[in-house]
Amino acid sequence: MNESNLLHASLLAYLCAILAGGIDLAQPGNTTRRVASWSLGTGFLLQAGAILLRSGEVGSFAVGSFAEQVAFLTWLVAGIFLAIARRYRLAVLGAIVATIAFAGALMALVDHGGVRDLPAALRSPWLPVHVGLAFLGNAAFAFACLVSLIYLWQERKLKAHSLDARMRGLPSLETLDQANYRCLTWGFVMLTLSILSGVLWAELSFGRLWSWEPRTMWTAVIWMLYAGLLHGRVTVGWGGRQAARLTIAGFLVLLVSFIGVNLFSPGRHAVSFG
Amino acid sequence: MSAQPQSKVTRLRPDGGARPDLEFWVVGISHHTAPVSLRERMAFSAEGLAPAARRLVASSPGVVEAVVLSTCNRVEVFAMVRADADPVGPVVEFLGREHSVPPALLDQHRYAHRGRAAVRHLFRVASSLDSMMVGEPQILGQLKEQYRLATDDGIASARIRPCFERAFRVAKRVRSETGIASKAVSVSSAAVDLAQRIFDDLGDKTAMIIGAGKMSVLAARHLQGHGIASVIVTNRSFDRAVEMARGFGGTPVPFERYTQYLHLADVVLGSVATSGHILGVGQMADVMRARRRKPMFLIDLGVPRNFDPAINDLDNVYLYNIDDLSRVADEHRAEREREAIRAEEIVEEETERFWRGLSARDLTPTIVALRGRLDQIRRAELDRALSALQRLEPPERRALEAMTTAIVNKILHAPTAMLKALASESDAESAAEIAEMVHRLFALEPLEGEARGGPGVRDDGDDQGE
Repeated sequence: MNESNLLHASLLAYLCAILAGGIDLAQPGNTTRRVASWSLGTGFLLQAGAILLRSGEVGSFAVGSFAEQVAFLTWLVAGIFLAIARRYRLAVLGAIVATIAFAGALMALVDHGGVRDLPAALRSPWLPVHVGLAFLGNAAFAFACLVSLIYLWQERKLKAHSLDARMRGLPSLETLDQANYRCLTWGFVMLTLSILSGVLWAELSFGRLWSWEPRTMWTAVIWMLYAGLLHGRVTVGWGGRQAARLTIAGFLVLLVSFIGVNLFSPGRHAVSFG
Repeated sequence: MSAQPQSKVTRLRPDGGARPDLEFWVVGISHHTAPVSLRERMAFSAEGLAPAARRLVASSPGVVEAVVLSTCNRVEVFAMVRADADPVGPVVEFLGREHSVPPALLDQHRYAHRGRAAVRHLFRVASSLDSMMVGEPQILGQLKEQYRLATDDGIASARIRPCFERAFRVAKRVRSETGIASKAVSVSSAAVDLAQRIFDDLGDKTAMIIGAGKMSVLAARHLQGHGIASVIVTNRSFDRAVEMARGFGGTPVPFERYTQYLHLADVVLGSVATSGHILGVGQMADVMRARRRKPMFLIDLGVPRNFDPAINDLDNVYLYNIDDLSRVADEHRAEREREAIRAEEIVEEETERFWRGLSARDLTPTIVALRGRLDQIRRAELDRALSALQRLEPPERRALEAMTTAIVNKILHAPTAMLKALASESDAESAAEIAEMVHRLFALEPLEGEARGGPGVRDDGDDQGE
């Protein structure tokens, strides 16, 4: 079983989850929902295997290329979904999450590059800690954004007094809002820990706490954005629509910086680790 | 071959088909067929049900077991009836006698189904597809309770049990696989439904009732039924507010100062007689600030409007008036009808499956084949003996005929009884094994699965009486 076999298998599982989830959206049923979440879980495990194999091949944490990073991120989003879908009754989102996971895994497969040499400076046990935390944070923010989109859609329907049959399986506004808060909090904690680990790593191996380059700058901006959002939630009572909109805006900034920095910027954090 | 008296055996096998000894029947009246003036005269009390079923079984020849179902919308008798008996007349007479209603009048309104149609009817009743409010959940509870009364009494037992137990399972499946029971179709249940779309759990929420309108009291009762934690009541007359609060186990507040308490409420029901709005956008914005913008659900049941419609534009406030709610209820009603179609499909599928299971469990064809085989041997041997004994007179021939028939019947008596007992005790699979073994022991014709009917249920296709 090599990495590309595993990726193929996981793509198949995700596809199955998309189909079952789509049928479930059109006509909710216990069986289709169960099939959808089991397929997604299978795809998740298969992709985990692929990521592990790839990491073994590279000799380090396999997030070297942009595609690998995207795939890792979407894999984490699927993982978060699997972990909390039941609790927050988010199972209806299965089809969307499976689509996202499918797209990520597909990128990893298409961009299946050879072995890249990692610069000596980055060969460190700090790498998986630092990068893993950063990605966990990003995945949590992505999930918060997804939840917020659902919130806004349902909120608009309720405001307009026009209910929709598709709302049947959705969680209540209050539940979605709580899920948003949870994801933001966890994302923020992860992001903060990731920054701290980066600072520590930089201090220990380069003798500098902070180097100004595009990625670190953007990260600082994003950290402040989410800090402000969480602060507003806790003190002013931002919630509901406001929080949902800000969450989506915050994630858009994150997305733009993630793509922009990875594709166009130099620095230690650039994709090729050049 | 000489003319023979019709033996019991030959009568048992018309054209080689199997005739089960019992059939499942339902006879009754419901909101579909009878006006309320008749239905209300027909109702049984809960404690009267089992004794009535007992009187029914005693007075109706052929009726072996019975369950009487009596609700506001239906009075029905489910019964296991011997195949050669027609229970419709006796049941109608029984119902008429119990309630002093002329049987002729009942005959105009009653329906009767037998076999598979009766099974389908029972499944539809249990799944709330035959209800006046399709999908209402009470009927299943009533059916279970009244079935339990009949089994406790012993008047319903092993023969009728499979039908009812399957009906309960079918009802559960319909409820879990279709949205038939989940849709709010009245205005006050639409209000609860919306509250549950907005709030995660009503268990920590507060409702405020402004005014004593009938609709808002009804909606508040509904909310309480769904676990809302506390109720605040206000009214122009404080005495009335105190009185209502007592009814709800809530807190009364004076009408002049109710806005001071408004921020405590998550759901607000307004039904005050007023010439203008009693709550404006500005006031409501203050309230939202006071409750840190936690969502609020306002229901305006007053005519003219109690709340300024512009309130709906505030963030996290959802204002619905009576028209909005009835539109929601209408949409739900339409959706429930779509769900009912899916539910009917499930009932049809389950009826088919149950029917096939019953057929498989039936040992009647095996018994018939066994009798046929022995009778065939008897006759072959008898014919051979008779042709060797040319000089026998007809009376002696008849004596031989009778003797051999008696021998066969004596031999068959114990195995027949045992097979019948086994058929009612075992499931489809072991019944099939038993049948297979008997067929092999006596070298009978191989079984043909489809050609057989079920015990206790014979599908005569068309329904009677509707």
